[in-house]
Amino acid sequence: MTTVTDNVELIKKDRLRFSKNKLSSNLTLLAIVFNAIYFVSIYKSDVGSYYYTFLIGISIIYNLLFMLTAFLSSEGVKSYKLNYSFVLLGLGVGQIIRIFILPMSAHNVSITLGQETQRVMSDGQFMRICVYLIASAALCIIAGIVAYIKTRTLTSYEAELEQKAKGAGHE
Amino acid sequence: MSNLKLEHLDKIYDNNVQAVYDFNLDINDGEFIVLVGPSGCGKSTTLRMVAGLEDISAGKLIIDGKDVTKMPPKDRDIAMVFQNYALYGHMTIYENMAFSLNLRKENKNVIHQKVLAAAEILDLTSQLNKKPSQLSGGQRQRVAMGRAIVRTPKVFLFDEPLSNLDAKLRGATRREILLLHKRLNATMIYVTHDQTEALTLADRIVCMSMGYVQQIGTPLELYDTPANTFVAGFIGLPPMNFFDVQIKNGQAVCESFAVDLTSEEKNALKSYENKTVILGVRPENIAEGGNVSVEVFSNENLGMNTLVNGSVKNHKITCKFRDWCNYKAGDIIKVSFTRKHFFDKETTNAIR
Repeated sequence: MTTVTDNVELIKKDRLRFSKNKLSSNLTLLAIVFNAIYFVSIYKSDVGSYYYTFLIGISIIYNLLFMLTAFLSSEGVKSYKLNYSFVLLGLGVGQIIRIFILPMSAHNVSITLGQETQRVMSDGQFMRICVYLIASAALCIIAGIVAYIKTRTLTSYEAELEQKAKGAGHE
Repeated sequence: MSNLKLEHLDKIYDNNVQAVYDFNLDINDGEFIVLVGPSGCGKSTTLRMVAGLEDISAGKLIIDGKDVTKMPPKDRDIAMVFQNYALYGHMTIYENMAFSLNLRKENKNVIHQKVLAAAEILDLTSQLNKKPSQLSGGQRQRVAMGRAIVRTPKVFLFDEPLSNLDAKLRGATRREILLLHKRLNATMIYVTHDQTEALTLADRIVCMSMGYVQQIGTPLELYDTPANTFVAGFIGLPPMNFFDVQIKNGQAVCESFAVDLTSEEKNALKSYENKTVILGVRPENIAEGGNVSVEVFSNENLGMNTLVNGSVKNHKITCKFRDWCNYKAGDIIKVSFTRKHFFDKETTNAIR
């Protein structure tokens, strides 16, 4: 039985039953976009050369995994699946950690072209890449937190409704 | 809820085909009007003119005293339910019902309350998270109605909403529409070619043919006192039987029978003495026993009653008897007419 109420908080909770968590989903998709921008920027060297290591291969594989997992999570949180909010938090933390692996090592390495020694990654490029990763991480973490809060709210509200329904049944 | 006034409405298409001629109708607040007629009679065109989906070539449409003839559809505060439901397949039922309100940027909480209230009226609460493809035809039509209800429009328009449903579901949904009308007490205009829907739903029926209004009246008026042979033939199932008869010495006479006229009929037919008129007899107004001989072609037992198709000389006739009958093709049965209708041969209008 639907009851009309003026309780805005209650209506907000009840709306969750019929609406998808588009906010978390869209934030996650945006995180993928920032990750993609990071990915296409990382291998552009200011000195026209590349820094080849195993890390590049690992970075490419992680990148693919990140995008796949983030996309699945965006679908998962859309339909209020709690586990995916933890996955998103993990992905966010992973993006922060990534700053200290490939970008940082590229930023610290210099190469010699002819007589001139230059850094593989300039300060400017390093900063830009950090911004992309931090943005991607922040979006993942926010999406995860929002998804966690909304999912818990919905779960407890549904339990409350079920309890009420049982109570009404007993009466 | 509101009153509507349709004044001298004409619809002429660009290719000069006129679909509606001089349509006049006053619709009262909370009234259920049914436009009925065969395909191509202009009923849907009239409805679309009210909705604003077709331009009005001439005449005025007034809603609640305000001339809305030139007003765009979105500003008329009218909701329309289509035959093919027009639901968005990728949206849930909830989203479909909330769609028009979301477009208007109404408060989400208000939308939620309205959708839940409409869903409860239509018994759709448990279906709100489903997609239209997961629902039956009847449920989809209820969703289409729900989408109209949430808007709380001034007028509801229904364009043959039950045509896509099977016979059983059509009956059930028809009853739901009737209950909905009683519950909302809303002004509704309903288009159908099905006379059963018209007779069961309408407060008043507008019977149309070839773009012209043939008769406006209550279901009983149209059934009992049809204005002309078209209405007489269209309303009623099986349709009315017609015979050309001559009025002679207080009798209606044709080559195969002569039936006595009542005093009322004699009065009405005074000026038709020795002239040919059309005699109309409904199948249910034919009783077994009498002086009219019918040669039986077929006998259809329907449980509660029996349809007997036959001929009176060269005229085909259908009789509806209450009992279970077992006539065979070739049998000759005697019948009488318990109620007669007379129409002018030239104008086809009823003689009263």
